[in-house]
Amino acid sequence: MSGDRILVSARNLVKEFAPRGGLFRRNSGGGVRAVDGVSFDINRGETLALVGESGCGKSTTGRLLMRLVEPTSGDTVFDGINLGSIPAATFRTVRQRIQLMFQDPAAAFNPRMKIGTIISEPMRLAGASARECDARVRELLPLVGLAAFHADRYPHEFSGGQRQRIGIARSLSIRPDFIICDEPVSALDVSIQAQVINLLTQMQRQFGLTYLFISHDLRVVRHIADRVAVMYLGRIVEIGEKRAIYSRPMHPYTQALMSAVPLPDPARKVEDVRLKGEIPSAQNIPSGCRFHPRCPRAMPICKTVDPVLAPGADGRQLACHLYSPEPSTKG
Amino acid sequence: MHDGGSEATLLSVKDLHVEFLTSRGALSAVNGVSFDLREGRTLCIVGESGSGKSVTAMSLLQLLPRATSRIPAGQVIFDGRDLVKADEKALRRIRGQDISIVFQDPMSSLNPLLTIGRQVCEPLILHLGMSRRAARERATELLALVGIPSPADSLRGYPHQLSGGQRQRVVIAMALACNPRLLIADEPTTALDVTTQAEILHLLRDLQQRLGMAVIFITHDLGVVAEFADDVLVMYAGRAVEMAPVAEIFANPSHPYTQDLLASIPPFDDTYREELPAIPGMVPPPFDMPKGCAFHPRCRLAVEQCTAAQPPLVTCGPAHQAACIRVAGHGQVLA
Repeated sequence: MSGDRILVSARNLVKEFAPRGGLFRRNSGGGVRAVDGVSFDINRGETLALVGESGCGKSTTGRLLMRLVEPTSGDTVFDGINLGSIPAATFRTVRQRIQLMFQDPAAAFNPRMKIGTIISEPMRLAGASARECDARVRELLPLVGLAAFHADRYPHEFSGGQRQRIGIARSLSIRPDFIICDEPVSALDVSIQAQVINLLTQMQRQFGLTYLFISHDLRVVRHIADRVAVMYLGRIVEIGEKRAIYSRPMHPYTQALMSAVPLPDPARKVEDVRLKGEIPSAQNIPSGCRFHPRCPRAMPICKTVDPVLAPGADGRQLACHLYSPEPSTKG
Repeated sequence: MHDGGSEATLLSVKDLHVEFLTSRGALSAVNGVSFDLREGRTLCIVGESGSGKSVTAMSLLQLLPRATSRIPAGQVIFDGRDLVKADEKALRRIRGQDISIVFQDPMSSLNPLLTIGRQVCEPLILHLGMSRRAARERATELLALVGIPSPADSLRGYPHQLSGGQRQRVVIAMALACNPRLLIADEPTTALDVTTQAEILHLLRDLQQRLGMAVIFITHDLGVVAEFADDVLVMYAGRAVEMAPVAEIFANPSHPYTQDLLASIPPFDDTYREELPAIPGMVPPPFDMPKGCAFHPRCRLAVEQCTAAQPPLVTCGPAHQAACIRVAGHGQVLA
């Protein structure tokens, strides 16, 4: 793999949140490891999807990647630059090439700003002139399916789908290379969701964008991703090409996630790979494989030995004892 | 479950209209919805946000605020009695006892300051006149029934100590406390993870079979509909646009809106599509209803005739009705 192909690398990212102090502090031992050693590469122009249940650390990973949250340890390498080891001023210019899109963009909009101002805000912060901003807003609005007159409206005048379009326009305003999309369509109706997904893929093609797509919706991910990483309790448990992961999920957790997807086919008999219990808290990570208490195929070794993410046959990586080569693990 | 018409009709909604009283005048939120629900069956109401599905559910139990809404016409006949005309006292007896409702956000039904035990016991003491001790025992059983681990301990806990999925289980336990004959579930799994959603759906289906209650399940997720429904009612802009048994609606969707809703679900197989078929535009707000068929501005098949009048629901298959001028039986069939 040539270094040029890779745009973003996460290298062993760890985030430990310190225990909360204060008046009502409980005697809970150490901190919470929300993200516990996550590494992956994203190639230029591709979409890597990060999937998992709420609380698995996928959003924190997105924020660590652009150092919106400072990692406890680990690095992000963006286009050959280690974001942790550059001076603040350089960092700011590099980070302009990275944008973040939220589930509810309205939460990130100032309700008293007009849409035009909201869209051009990243440009203004980067020092663009008012004229440049205006021109860019006029260019972006039709691109995301809004009209020029919308620039003078306020956020509350728009529906959820339209706000997400505004969010996309704002992310694009500064011409980024890389967009972290954090559940961008989860709050939308399917019909509107399809509109926004189409817009995201169209923008990717048109501007050669690279996406990290954070989602819990495996249907949407199957449509939009090139590669998929499955997270569980702060770790990646399986990562690989979309086609490989979906046609043959190997990790029991990935299998369970897949079988839980409700499909629009009343004749389908649900194969019950249901999980026992719920995702444990990151405050209290189980021994051995952290998935073993819920795993339908857990073996004795899983309680004691933490499996490492190891390369598998079709280019995927997998952290599961079921597939580890040592003969001693069988049985 | 099984087909066949042996079960008695439990709920019959006839030409239900709901209006909201606003500064712009009375706005119609539900416009002439009718359906029947038999004992033990599941009806799924589907539609986008703003289609009127939640308002329909709320109005069944007369839960909409009287100061700002009214039901100008229609009947909600439950067990032979019209709930629209029932007085508050009678309604209070029915709510939570004969008909229960579960909402999307469990915290909207749980009091953060009271223990789980107190809240699960409340309907038992109130509706069934149980003693505290008996209620406590029954509450423990109920929590076990909905799969809460160590139910006796959980009774002493508070809602914030539970995860979202567990809270929804507690709310379901409360809803089931008095063995209701009808459970209304308004997007009960929308805020949950897929794995938790699968568990809650499984739980509801299991409980329904064991307890024999009828369920009205409101969702915008057609995947959930496929797994859960016996019958399906598709709503758009306050009207029923299509109604059919679940297998029929997925095999022969007849209204263009139903067809497009189904098409806009990302396919879960290896067929790659450059673009997902999306429905352009959005549900019109009640103060800006288009003339004629409310769906025509977004409809890929709209013709001039669609702007003239709202087409009525007409039969187009076995137990299958749709409200579109293209549907056979409506006189004129267009290619």
